[in-house]
Amino acid sequence: MEYPEKLTQIVSLFESLPAPEKRESLISYATAAAKNAPREGESFDLEDVRKDEECTDTVGVFLKISSTRACEFRVTLGPQVQTLTKAMTSILCKGLAGCTPEEVLEIPADFVPKIVGADLVRQRSQTVYYILTRMKGITKVWLNRQRAARH
Amino acid sequence: MIDKNYAQPDALVTTQWVSEHLSDSGVRLVESNEDYLLYDTGHIQGAVHIDWRADLQDQTIRDYVSPKQFAELCERHGISNETTVVFYGDKSNWWACYALWTFRLFGHEKVKIMDGGRDKWVGENRHLTRAVPHFVKGRYTPAAERRDVEIRAFYDQALAHSRAGHALIDVRSPGEFRGEITHMPEYPQEGVLRGGHVPGAASVPWKMAVKEDGTFKSAAELHAIYEEEAGLMRGQDVIAYCRIGERSSHTWFVLTYLLGYKNVRNYDGSWTEWGNRVGAPIERG
Repeated sequence: MEYPEKLTQIVSLFESLPAPEKRESLISYATAAAKNAPREGESFDLEDVRKDEECTDTVGVFLKISSTRACEFRVTLGPQVQTLTKAMTSILCKGLAGCTPEEVLEIPADFVPKIVGADLVRQRSQTVYYILTRMKGITKVWLNRQRAARH
Repeated sequence: MIDKNYAQPDALVTTQWVSEHLSDSGVRLVESNEDYLLYDTGHIQGAVHIDWRADLQDQTIRDYVSPKQFAELCERHGISNETTVVFYGDKSNWWACYALWTFRLFGHEKVKIMDGGRDKWVGENRHLTRAVPHFVKGRYTPAAERRDVEIRAFYDQALAHSRAGHALIDVRSPGEFRGEITHMPEYPQEGVLRGGHVPGAASVPWKMAVKEDGTFKSAAELHAIYEEEAGLMRGQDVIAYCRIGERSSHTWFVLTYLLGYKNVRNYDGSWTEWGNRVGAPIERG
């Protein structure tokens, strides 16, 4: 399956980078993670703030869906969240912006090793997939509520 | 140096001591973390990064690198046999203690821990840099062999220890010890088939050795925890274990350097070996 266009661009960039630059790009994304927090006055269709066993600190995922069914994610991260999780937050907020809920749910997770490298996936598997799982989770809740409201 | 009546007070240094030795050519700072990319986001000036898995462990077999590979690692980081290596890291110095224990495994003598680790340094708003230092290659003569016999325990030795009723310390969380979970709180299940603990082991979670800020408790407090409560005695042959040997390295450091125990071994196979081993005896509850 193809990835959404913005995510495809990010994946292509990472695939073209040698290991040191890939690492540097991950750090840049991680450093920018705080910019993905909700902005002053923003409202959301769903909010899900919780501390899971799989993550070292609290993560809040906020979902806004436009009238054209375009998703926008915002994410808050507790201070103990690991660097890779921070990087994946920035990558996914950017890469999934504008997708429909259905597209978000259908995204295969196989892009993750293309971004972070197979070694890191093997070593830190819980970290690299966590944010994607949370984003899919909140999107599925939104879709289920929409379906329930129609019946 | 820190004086809390420790057996070897010079094994611990303060953040202030580190800040005063940033340009000391005889001292090398080593950052070792659980968070693989944390060093790259910023580290203490002059600190090198040593990763427990990529640098210290063999990449195929579950074991450590050879003495020759260890010597090459040290030389790459400008570390010679006489260099004083000061370790620090995240998670209250779990991986820093693991790296220190591994350095001792290869016979490196001059090792220290920065009390409180990376969080304390950051909490004091001390400077971090992203500049990766480059040092003149060190001259490191590899040890003839690792000191496995002295400070490392293997499954058979831990089993014999258990059967003989000798001192075994399980430093995992109470839930792991009781067999209710097979992983640390906040961590995923990582492939252990059985939960519980080694028969006869005493539960002394690693965290009991540190204060809220991640610094070690005083010798008197540690004495109360390990000796009065857990029943350890100086002179005993003690084996500590956890899940993969990192938290038990922390306790190994406490018992060896802060309380002065002479015969402490870290069972680095720990629960990921014991809990998967066919026929290994297990206690629960």
